Amino acid sequence: MKLDPRTKLYMILIVSAVVLMSATSPFLWGVRILMTLIPVILLIIEKRYTSAFGFTFLYLVALVLTFAFLSEDSNSFFKTFLTGYSGIVVQFLPCLITAWYVVRTTKIGEFMSSMQKMHVPDGITIALAVVMRFFPTIKEEYSSISDAMKMRGISFGGGNAAKMIEYRMIPLLFSCVNIGDELSAAAITRGLGGKVKRTSVEELRLRWADWLLITAFTSAAVIFVVFKYFL
Amino acid sequence: MSENIIDISHVSFKYKGSEEGLLNDTSLTVAKGETLLLTGASGSGKTTLIRLINGLIPHYYQGVLEGEVTVSGRDIGKAELYELAGVVGTVFQNPRSQFFSVDTDGEIVFGNENIGLDPKIILKRKEAIVSQMHIEKLLGRTLFELSGGEKQSIACASVSALLPEIILLDEPSSNLDQGAIAKLHDQIALWNMQGKTIVISEHRLWYLKDLVDRVIYMDSGKIAHEWKGAEFAAFDSRKIAELKLRPLTVSDVLSPACGSNCGLKDSCDKIGAMPDEADGIVLKDFFFSYHRKPYLFWKKSFNENDPDLSLCIQRLVLPKGAVIGVTGRNGTGKSTFLKCVCGLEKDCKGIIEDAGRTYKGKERLKLSYMVMQDVNHQLFTDSVESEVLLSMNEEDKGRCNEILDKLGILEFKDKHPMALSGGQKQRVAIASAMAADAKLMLFDEPTSGLDFLHMEKVAELLKSLARTGKTVLVATHDPELIELCCEYILCIENGKLGYIRKV
Repeated sequence: MKLDPRTKLYMILIVSAVVLMSATSPFLWGVRILMTLIPVILLIIEKRYTSAFGFTFLYLVALVLTFAFLSEDSNSFFKTFLTGYSGIVVQFLPCLITAWYVVRTTKIGEFMSSMQKMHVPDGITIALAVVMRFFPTIKEEYSSISDAMKMRGISFGGGNAAKMIEYRMIPLLFSCVNIGDELSAAAITRGLGGKVKRTSVEELRLRWADWLLITAFTSAAVIFVVFKYFL
Repeated sequence: MSENIIDISHVSFKYKGSEEGLLNDTSLTVAKGETLLLTGASGSGKTTLIRLINGLIPHYYQGVLEGEVTVSGRDIGKAELYELAGVVGTVFQNPRSQFFSVDTDGEIVFGNENIGLDPKIILKRKEAIVSQMHIEKLLGRTLFELSGGEKQSIACASVSALLPEIILLDEPSSNLDQGAIAKLHDQIALWNMQGKTIVISEHRLWYLKDLVDRVIYMDSGKIAHEWKGAEFAAFDSRKIAELKLRPLTVSDVLSPACGSNCGLKDSCDKIGAMPDEADGIVLKDFFFSYHRKPYLFWKKSFNENDPDLSLCIQRLVLPKGAVIGVTGRNGTGKSTFLKCVCGLEKDCKGIIEDAGRTYKGKERLKLSYMVMQDVNHQLFTDSVESEVLLSMNEEDKGRCNEILDKLGILEFKDKHPMALSGGQKQRVAIASAMAADAKLMLFDEPTSGLDFLHMEKVAELLKSLARTGKTVLVATHDPELIELCCEYILCIENGKLGYIRKV
């Protein structure tokens, strides 16, 4: 199923707004969990089973921990820690799932053309597109660096946490800067950043699925706000 | 007399912050429809010339530029880069870092979208290019999954789609295997037929000699020699060696037997060169697959009967103290093999036996050391000396100096590794490998993109490592390197042991 990037961005916007408001009643929790399920279902439709399953698992564990075992007055060190962590996961994971879905299923061409349709300045669009392009690169680079560290037996920086980060970050930064430099050169020689108005072969149209999702998310957000603040 | 489409007149250029000029009063004209080869040592100014023609100098890379560059009637100094996009197309060296999209379709149309063409025309152009290049099967895929050769094909398609008059290629074959180079060759021939003007900067010469009309030999920022293509193709090996160029012909050390039909009919004893177990390093039960994802906590374990193995080597004896070239096509399992041997793929349960000792699991990491293709990934500290000391179990400055001296990098002891040149960085990585006392040294493509002089140095180094008793495995696409230093060739085909034989 192909969604319009604008719908996806709207989803991110709504989910981010909702996660910033805490759910105070079981009904509000229900709304929030339903909203989290939508991107999970979308991930399953896109056949990304591993990530869908992983996210659901993490979310469920955090939910169960938060509700069944912990409360605000859990006072042992371990419990406080766990409350904090599972609280953060429950609160913000919906955002992460949605963002993951969007980044994984949006082509850069589509994204750029939708941003243009929304009259976002090119500077911002290109910067965001480069960020999207860079995620997989960072992942690749990071895994080779981890390999190199394993080979030298310094994965844990000899027990020194600062070293551990330093050894990872320095080569990563160097190679990202290099790749970024080559990438820009290659993009510029193909006319990126010119004064001409960019066109796009990606035809963007809001289909029934888009409208359905937009309606669903809008109503969920409205219900959430109304029930939380006005009832 | 055909008209000149590129006219570089009395150009000198110095990168910002560097002392020496990279180009000194260089003049060059290229006629329309000509195919020109730029060659010469690294740092002789080939890439700088390419950047002058596509406008990256002075618009992207800054520096002091004197003289004039005119390309297709435009003064490069005054033209905007995006105006040049439809005129000059460039294929770069590194397939990894020259695509902007993450999907193949988006990449092919990227340039045309930038110059604001009508989507209908763009799609028509895309279709034409795709059928011309026969890359239908690459469409609709993620660029990150493609092999180096396939990425380079997409890069060529993306450049072609802009229909430029001039096509520049900056060391395009550096990361490609024989098969992909053959495709690149055909692509250049096609462009030539379409009447494009082509300028190629390259160290590998054997695949280009029938294509080029003129050859320019650069030496320290100047055009030192100029030959007609036919004249150049007829050079004998002595002349080429004098010029410190890579050979024009390479023997078929790589091509036969690495395909479906084995070229060694008489001696087709696939494992004939395998020494006795007592004199070699024995690898046993190396099985690995990328295809099966872990379920959640399940450990993957593979055996020889699994259907989709990326690596399947049941038993292999490596001759000790020798340089062994590991060959095979792109994506056929060379890198997987190296990674499994040095123990980086935890799920590969292979066992290594050496001198009566058995190494499994993490112990393999101590036995071996891999120098990666991109050495930047394995330099962690802020000085060459501490880089080497980091690899030692007990810090021993005397021994560190000894190693650095042997590799000829003692003078850089206090420098930051990232401030060194590519070849010097490679030596630093080798120094750490020696400091770690690895018996098995693995090299992943150590000579991609190197000129002949540097390749000879690497070959010399590999041989000297072997002389000190190390066993050196070197994965490479360079037949030149194999001729220079390898005693054995180990061929991997679809993850299986193709053959191992003496050179």
